[in-house]
Amino acid sequence: MTTVIEETEQMFGDMSQWQSMLDRQRELFVDMDSGARLGFVSREASGILPGKHREGVQVVTEVPMMAWEVNDGAMSARIERFAGLSATRVDILLVADREAMDTMLAELGGDMLRTIKRLIRRGNIMFFLFKNKTQLQDAGYEDFLESLGLAFIGACR
Amino acid sequence: MTTIAVKRPGEAKLKDLFKPGTVGKYTVKNRIKYGACCVSNYNGRDGTITPRELARVRVIAGTGCGLITNQGAYPDPWGEGKAYFRQVAIHDDKFLPQFEMIARYIHDAGAMAMQQILHAGRYGGIDLGYCIQPSVVPQTLPHFRPPREMTKEQIAVTVKQHADAARRAIRAGFDATEITSFMGYLLANFNSRFTNQRTDEYGGSVQNRGRFMRELIDAIKQATPDNPLSVRLNGAELMDKWGGNTQDESFELMQQAVDCGVDMISVTVGWQEAPESSFGRDVAPGYWNFLSEKAKKMFPNTLVAFGNRLPDPAMADQCVRDNIFDYWEVCRPLLADPEMIHKAAEDRMEEVRPCIGSLNCLSRLFRDLPYTCTMNPMLGHEVEPEYHVTEATEKKRVMVIGAGPAGMEAAITARKRGHSVTVFDKADKIGGNLAAYAANDLARPADLQSVIDYYGVMAKKLGVEVRLNTEANAKFMRSILHEYDACIVAAGARTDLDSFKYMPGSETLIDALEVAHGKKTVGKRVVMIGGGMIGLTISEFLQKAGHEVTVVEKDKRVGGDIMPTFKWRHTAWVDELGIKTICSAQLLKVTADGATVKTAKGEEILIPCDNVIVSSPRRANHDLFYEFQWMIDELHGGGDATVPRGLDAAIQEGYKLGVRI
Repeated sequence: MTTVIEETEQMFGDMSQWQSMLDRQRELFVDMDSGARLGFVSREASGILPGKHREGVQVVTEVPMMAWEVNDGAMSARIERFAGLSATRVDILLVADREAMDTMLAELGGDMLRTIKRLIRRGNIMFFLFKNKTQLQDAGYEDFLESLGLAFIGACR
Repeated sequence: MTTIAVKRPGEAKLKDLFKPGTVGKYTVKNRIKYGACCVSNYNGRDGTITPRELARVRVIAGTGCGLITNQGAYPDPWGEGKAYFRQVAIHDDKFLPQFEMIARYIHDAGAMAMQQILHAGRYGGIDLGYCIQPSVVPQTLPHFRPPREMTKEQIAVTVKQHADAARRAIRAGFDATEITSFMGYLLANFNSRFTNQRTDEYGGSVQNRGRFMRELIDAIKQATPDNPLSVRLNGAELMDKWGGNTQDESFELMQQAVDCGVDMISVTVGWQEAPESSFGRDVAPGYWNFLSEKAKKMFPNTLVAFGNRLPDPAMADQCVRDNIFDYWEVCRPLLADPEMIHKAAEDRMEEVRPCIGSLNCLSRLFRDLPYTCTMNPMLGHEVEPEYHVTEATEKKRVMVIGAGPAGMEAAITARKRGHSVTVFDKADKIGGNLAAYAANDLARPADLQSVIDYYGVMAKKLGVEVRLNTEANAKFMRSILHEYDACIVAAGARTDLDSFKYMPGSETLIDALEVAHGKKTVGKRVVMIGGGMIGLTISEFLQKAGHEVTVVEKDKRVGGDIMPTFKWRHTAWVDELGIKTICSAQLLKVTADGATVKTAKGEEILIPCDNVIVSSPRRANHDLFYEFQWMIDELHGGGDATVPRGLDAAIQEGYKLGVRI
């Protein structure tokens, strides 16, 4: 029987493929401050589930998180631990459901950011921001956020 | 002597909308509620009401609505409930004099006055750097603040602040109050599973999550027992996928409010962070009526107000007749035309400046600017005499070059002031490039076409002469020399094909405007140069019609010139339709094989295609300024003919020229 951790690691797949994808999108990250960080967790594994928020958002089992971190204008991907929203040290957390994880893995060689953007719009990926707009802009996130469509979402449409 | 009230012709037609109603002990002259759906941002940073706001409220009071809700005021002294940069406050008696004036304006106009109390919760704390919520759920939109969880003591204080604010509003002369969950404010935060994860008596079950709302209603009812209370509640949050309430839960919460004795339920749709539209131009009018219908069926003895994406009085009249709601809650269409209700009552609907759902108002609001309206250049300038249409001291003969929005707006405004006005356009119909844009619009072409129709109707009614199929040039000007005193050049902008003049294959380029106007057709595979508003709109239309479009944009992203609240819609269409985009790239050459572009990395890419369409760069048609400057007394310019922009700038500038010429 696979553990939740093994299952989640299987979901993220081969990290070198993620890294290749980030390298292909390099120009999006060149203006970002070193230390800028995003996290990806599985919605099912983390417990951040629609309809189960009361148990979910704040009380979770420690699960793997794929972290993207900027260093010297380049984004690198690696697996870290996620111990709940309050303990996480990322600027943006993306919470992907199983369908989103499957879709992303299937399209890892393609235009992944467009795929992520589509999955956000469809509600398959939730996201939480831990810095405000000004802080994110100052850290150089603008191009990256625009590429994900985050800056456009919401605000009384 | 007996006086007989004479019904105006439109009132007889829309008799259900214009029939009187009651709210509590108050008689309301018709079934129209002015909704407090937009905070103006016209006020002081400390929440004081300004002369600009008061001038605006006088216009609102005069809209003809039977029930007028004044914009939401935050009830706490710290500003935790303050969502907008210049939102009104109602946490202290020092604010009373201005509220008294507002209540008086509304009563003087024969309407019932309702004051909304707006604690923004998750979207609040604009000056504080944090917001308060039932639970700590991080933000999903970058322009809001990090959350702090409310203690039970804070909840009790907040409930009391709402009751105090309601009492204060009634003391100021208002007849009723309203609390609001629209669109994701504090009340919604408690009601929703998404933001309420408390484990005490305020969280968990729907019953527990509704406790805060019930306490608010009880406290306000106790504070103002003789005055009606309205509660704005989501029929649909549109946050289901984020763990928000289902529609069933939303209606359970409405039931709780009804059981608490609330006088009116105002049904709303969506949260600000919801991933889909609730009232943008891409939502068909009447789309959400089913939510109101459900509320009315569930709560037949409680008044229901509704108006989300329902801009038409005739539709609203039918809804009242069909018992879909009791009061039509309307705001945005009255921003576009404050006279709309009167025009409906007089059966002059064709003269209404239509709300096109561009959401310019909200685009500005969320950038901490006062709201304005694409269609109504007066909005926000009511206090300034310079913006008012006054009779011209010297009546002039005015010629306007270009029958697009800028030219037509200038023409009808100048005509209202007593000038004699003639509009010239080389096309065979009015509308300019807006007509082409409307023809290619995937959202609702009828909305944009309604702008052109409005200008046609008003030109005819006011006696503006329109000469079509007439190209204005130096020869033409010589033929009419001295016939006019003033000339307004509003000839729009053109695609700058000259910038490709020396490029190999430039002779094959097709002007995007020619395609948009239907003058040129293109093959299956198309490359669109320019991913701005025009390029994307035509690309979306072509792709939907079966073409395969690749958009090449010189900037880092597409859609750079699109209104912020509608930009997402275009970028979503690009994704949904599968339009390819290549950014940070420039056209190098066009050959029989296709278009070759060069990226910022220096890479050359050949895109096989049948045609290359150019939508960018655009160039103002200001050549006429140079040609005419020695041929007429006054020469003015406006709209894209000065700097290529969008519809809102065209209308604003046209109006400004019309009131000042």
